[in-house]
Amino acid sequence: MDFSHILEKKCEVNKMNKEKIGLALGIMCAVLVFGIIVQIKTINSTNPTYSSSNTVNNLRDEVLKEKEKYDNRYEELEKAEKELEKERESSTGNNGELTSVEEQIKEGNKLLGLTEVSGEGIIVTLKDNTAQVTNSLLDASDLVVHDMDVLSVINELKNAGAEAISINDQRIVTTTGIVCDGNVIQINGQKVGAPFEIKAIGLSEQLAALSRPGGYLSILQEYGIGTELVKSKNITIPKYSGSINFKYVHNQ
Amino acid sequence: MDGKKKGKVVMAISIGISCFALTMVMSMQFKVVDQTDITSIENMRESELRAELSNWKDKYEDVNTRYEEVDKTIKEYKNQEKSDNEKSKLLQAELSQINLELGKTDVTGEGITITLKETNNTDTAITADDLLVIVNSLKLAGAEAISINEERVINTTDIVEINNTFIKVNGQRILSPYIIKAIGEQTYLESSLLGNGGYVDELKKNGYEVTIEKNSKINIKKYEDELKSKYMQ
Repeated sequence: MDFSHILEKKCEVNKMNKEKIGLALGIMCAVLVFGIIVQIKTINSTNPTYSSSNTVNNLRDEVLKEKEKYDNRYEELEKAEKELEKERESSTGNNGELTSVEEQIKEGNKLLGLTEVSGEGIIVTLKDNTAQVTNSLLDASDLVVHDMDVLSVINELKNAGAEAISINDQRIVTTTGIVCDGNVIQINGQKVGAPFEIKAIGLSEQLAALSRPGGYLSILQEYGIGTELVKSKNITIPKYSGSINFKYVHNQ
Repeated sequence: MDGKKKGKVVMAISIGISCFALTMVMSMQFKVVDQTDITSIENMRESELRAELSNWKDKYEDVNTRYEEVDKTIKEYKNQEKSDNEKSKLLQAELSQINLELGKTDVTGEGITITLKETNNTDTAITADDLLVIVNSLKLAGAEAISINEERVINTTDIVEINNTFIKVNGQRILSPYIIKAIGEQTYLESSLLGNGGYVDELKKNGYEVTIEKNSKINIKKYEDELKSKYMQ
């Protein structure tokens, strides 16, 4: 029996195992360190160093104050509008003619987008392309949702008879414009970011034609933009968060 | 021998646990980075914050003006003589303002007229998208009434290309030259289309004939069809 031979072999196996473990650990550590470095870099680039300067902090406070002022006034406006509605209702009494005018006012406000509405319709979601840019010929800006895309989808929905539309809960009213602002879109002066959730009330079968072959959604899909369309029997669209104040236009 | 084995197991387990913990931390962080909301003011630069500030001031002004109007109307309802005639006047005043905002009336005011035409230098016709972009720019510049070839642009108006041959607005066929009228502050409206990134400049560069005319009195016709909601409650 040659014990020394067995012992030697065992040592060799141990050594090999150790080497394997060491290698595996080394690779793991490298991956983790790499991951951490990537994250630190990402965080650094999203939080510019000057964000903590005084002017910026003051500005931020001012924005918050102004927003609060708006929120408070808006709340008061909502209360006042409810009161006005009551006054209007009570003023009509049993007079059929006045009641008819009051109903036209209600319907008008609904059409203007000044009330919350619900009904059947669709929900379309647009997401930026998450895939890596592998083809250098492909422009990175082709992969994100643009204001023109949103504008075109809205236009197609109107063509399909949509009666009320919102984007990320911002109601589209007659004065609503859409503007691309870096990687966010501004609607009604409010910034909204991707994914964009577009709700529309109308005949859902007709609205769902948006996803037909050759329709705008299929064009977006070619660019790799994620699109989703869901029909629903009950969609709620909030009212316009601002108010319509015309200054330049008068009846003829 | 046994002790050695135990040691190894302990080592393997502890390495496993620490790896697991690190992975957890990393995935949590990725989530945090992912969730960082680019629309929140925490992440805005100075110029963005200034724009945001003036935006909220504008919105406050709008809501405040509206509040004062509503408040005034409430008082009028409360103070009215209880005759049907007076009530009717108040209700009619409110309805007429709403109809004006809806585009159901012929209107007038200061504004601009844009004329768009293809020329010999242009290979392609003006598209529905061109008109869509111009209308959007005008709305952003505060246009209160818009029409294209006398078709009133209201909230539900669509501008579509039919078989790449002609354009329909409100389902009505319109032909070139396109005359877009907008009522609002003349200078704002004009400047939204001119200058860097202005769409009219873009069209001119591509050889289209575009003119903008400012006017202190522009007339825009009402929306002709009936406005009715069928699906929204």
